[in-house]
Amino acid sequence: MPKKLFLLIIFLTLAPPAWPQSSSSKPAETQEPPEKRYANMPTEAVPFRRFTKPYHEWFVDKNTVEYNGAASDRPDGDISKLSEIAIGFLGPLENNPESMFGIPMLHGAQMAMEEANARGGYKGKHFALKIYNDSALWGASSTVLPSMLFKDNCWAVLGSIDGQSTHIQIRESLKLEVPILSPGTTDRTVTETRIQWILSNFPDDRVQGYALANHIFRELKLKRIGVIRTQTRYARIGVGVFNDMARRMQRQPTLEVKFDRGDMDFSRQLRMLRDTKIEGLVIWAEWPEAALILKHMREMGMKQPVFSSSRTAYPKLLEIAGPAAEGLVTACALDPSRQDAAWTAFRDRYRQKYGEDPDAYAAYAYDGMNMLIAAIGKAGLNRGRIMQTLRDYQLKDYKGVAGDVTFDYTLKNVSPVTLSRVENGKFVYWKAASSETQQGPVVAEIR
Amino acid sequence: MKRLLFIVILLVTATVLAAEKPPLITRWENFTTANGIPDDKVFCLAVDGPRVWAGTEDGLVLIENGKVARVYGTGDGLVHRVVMGIAVDKRNGDLWIGTFGGLSQFSGGQFKNYTNLTSGLLNDIIYGVAVQDYWVWVATTAGISRLDTSTGEWRNWSEFNAPFHEPWSYGIAPAPEIGKVYFAVWGGGMIEYDIATDTMKPYTDPDEEMELVLFRNQGLVHIIVSNVAFNPDTKMTWGSTYFGLTGYDGRNWHNYLTKDSGLASDFINAPKSRGNEVWACTDKGLSFLDYKTNTWVTYRRNKQNGHGEIEITWPDQKKTTLEAPTSLAHNYILNMEFQGKDIWVATAKGLSHGIREPQMEAQLYGNAKLDRRSTRGRQGEGAKVSKDGFPKSGQRPAGSQ
Repeated sequence: MPKKLFLLIIFLTLAPPAWPQSSSSKPAETQEPPEKRYANMPTEAVPFRRFTKPYHEWFVDKNTVEYNGAASDRPDGDISKLSEIAIGFLGPLENNPESMFGIPMLHGAQMAMEEANARGGYKGKHFALKIYNDSALWGASSTVLPSMLFKDNCWAVLGSIDGQSTHIQIRESLKLEVPILSPGTTDRTVTETRIQWILSNFPDDRVQGYALANHIFRELKLKRIGVIRTQTRYARIGVGVFNDMARRMQRQPTLEVKFDRGDMDFSRQLRMLRDTKIEGLVIWAEWPEAALILKHMREMGMKQPVFSSSRTAYPKLLEIAGPAAEGLVTACALDPSRQDAAWTAFRDRYRQKYGEDPDAYAAYAYDGMNMLIAAIGKAGLNRGRIMQTLRDYQLKDYKGVAGDVTFDYTLKNVSPVTLSRVENGKFVYWKAASSETQQGPVVAEIR
Repeated sequence: MKRLLFIVILLVTATVLAAEKPPLITRWENFTTANGIPDDKVFCLAVDGPRVWAGTEDGLVLIENGKVARVYGTGDGLVHRVVMGIAVDKRNGDLWIGTFGGLSQFSGGQFKNYTNLTSGLLNDIIYGVAVQDYWVWVATTAGISRLDTSTGEWRNWSEFNAPFHEPWSYGIAPAPEIGKVYFAVWGGGMIEYDIATDTMKPYTDPDEEMELVLFRNQGLVHIIVSNVAFNPDTKMTWGSTYFGLTGYDGRNWHNYLTKDSGLASDFINAPKSRGNEVWACTDKGLSFLDYKTNTWVTYRRNKQNGHGEIEITWPDQKKTTLEAPTSLAHNYILNMEFQGKDIWVATAKGLSHGIREPQMEAQLYGNAKLDRRSTRGRQGEGAKVSKDGFPKSGQRPAGSQ
């Protein structure tokens, strides 16, 4: 009896300190502020989250692209001495495998500019597009930005698609101070530099990778995934994000194999993937190769579900792959099945002018050019003020023909992407679910 | 004997306390388009004895005897108007000029140009140049080029033949004292070239994430390195990033962010270092670190009155703000160079010549009634300055308004 009494006293003595620690009794003012998270990162994608809290986190504050230079102090352009208001365009147009995306991008930009000129241009002067080809030869486009500034007197630049070229442009722009809007790069690192002279409205690798990983590992609960990708920076950076997310969800891809653009035979890579007994395959490539991979793997008897990056959601893939494309799930930059007036009107005008449907590159270039033209209209002929107008998009939305775009602190589009699935020979679109809205981890947390 | 010991201790203490006060730049002379430079945006500098060369967005400037002596542009033979890097060959006085359109050699009053099409230069977009004996190192947007001036032979390093995660090169710092050359590579970290073994070794961000710093002194603070400097006195290498300042002593890394130091900003365009001095060219002013005492000084222009603001951050993180009558031309600092005790600073809106004046320095410290014992010992007291930076006594430095 004395022993039980003693234990009771010990319990009562120790128990009270635990009570105030319950969340219900915690005063509101002492609640932790909501965690800032870069790029709408799902919890499971947060680096080192199982290990420690980082010493410092970037890109989660307004000062991410704070500009402290003197660009706006430079003299404004004298419109009376200008015959046109020049805007530069850099994109893959010829002798470049990415020209299949660059040409629609050019068309979208041209259409927006023509419409602005039809409305009167800027103070009676027409906008003029100074078009430069983004050469596939690495570094060959490096001298474009100085030419745009000193030869063409461009007030802003639209471009490019290639991550390397865009990186070169922004580093030059950091010194020369020319506003750049990228309507096509998926390279997440472009806006992760704190360079204050770029805004990107195209959904990047992060949002695509997060959406695919969430669908594959959480929604479909697949475990053994293989990856096949091109030997390009586009695929290297994109797969890097997907692999990081997969690893943090404890679903490290079983095997990653590569091929060169233009390859026609993928049997060796597919055999390797088949032998590792994958449950699903991720293709990070362009549609021509993706279509052939789908055909070959089905011919080899591989029935695994296939997932792919945004450059594969093209009708031509369906033409080439045929029934082999059934079930393909793609992270899309654009939902062309939307029926809102802005999109359908743009689609119809584009179709009438160019004889084909606009793709994502055309739509984002159209929106991007409209953003640049509006910024010039608001800020005048001063590159510093034009870029400041674009910087004001931090944490704001832009509603364009491509849909609603939300910019984060780095001025990158972090809106949730659309996913599509090929059903009965057609792409069927739906908005990707955020992993935050779904309960429970993919696998049990390690304690 | 006891008295002698007491006096010695007192003297040593007084010396240490006096030495803790960092030296100050108290006067600035600025050069803008108003007094002869061709463009207000100044990217780079080189000091050759009494001659100061500055690279601007519209050509090359020579400053002698406190005046703009000569401006050189493309009409004079310079390969491109945008001058991003200058290096002096001390052996013969030749000038090597890196531009956004190739490399120029200025020798005997004549320009000789090297471009991607006419030479072995890797790319025409150049961010930095350095001369080391008969080698001219060039940091291009496609990698590192090296011209052997004794043979005319070019050699290149990029992601194809060297450990460059990305090849986008920004700065070069020869370190002949330790037989190395350091390169700042955007997206590729800091790369160390060993002259004897002809090998390159990369130092990259160990956490491999763009959006965070995992640990304070984790290694290189970030993979994007904007420039590099070698200190021949301490043998330390300093790297600037847009994510803080990073220093490497050959064994350990020493990283500084605004949140844990007196840095004006984490966005740093270039470092410079000599003796115990470490300088950081930031987008919010010029920061100086006395590495020995961990005391910081930041120079910036007061945007309201144009006066110079000198902010001292003491080792205990307390701050003292002094005001000087003159200031940097602009707070966005792109680069700097030493000229004896003076410094030259390239800003986004002019070139600044910073001068030390012992009398003025004493006056500023005196006006601030600086008492380091109270600053160190009594929390919250610090130096006697008001919020607007003026000494509380109301006595302002000569020339201030």
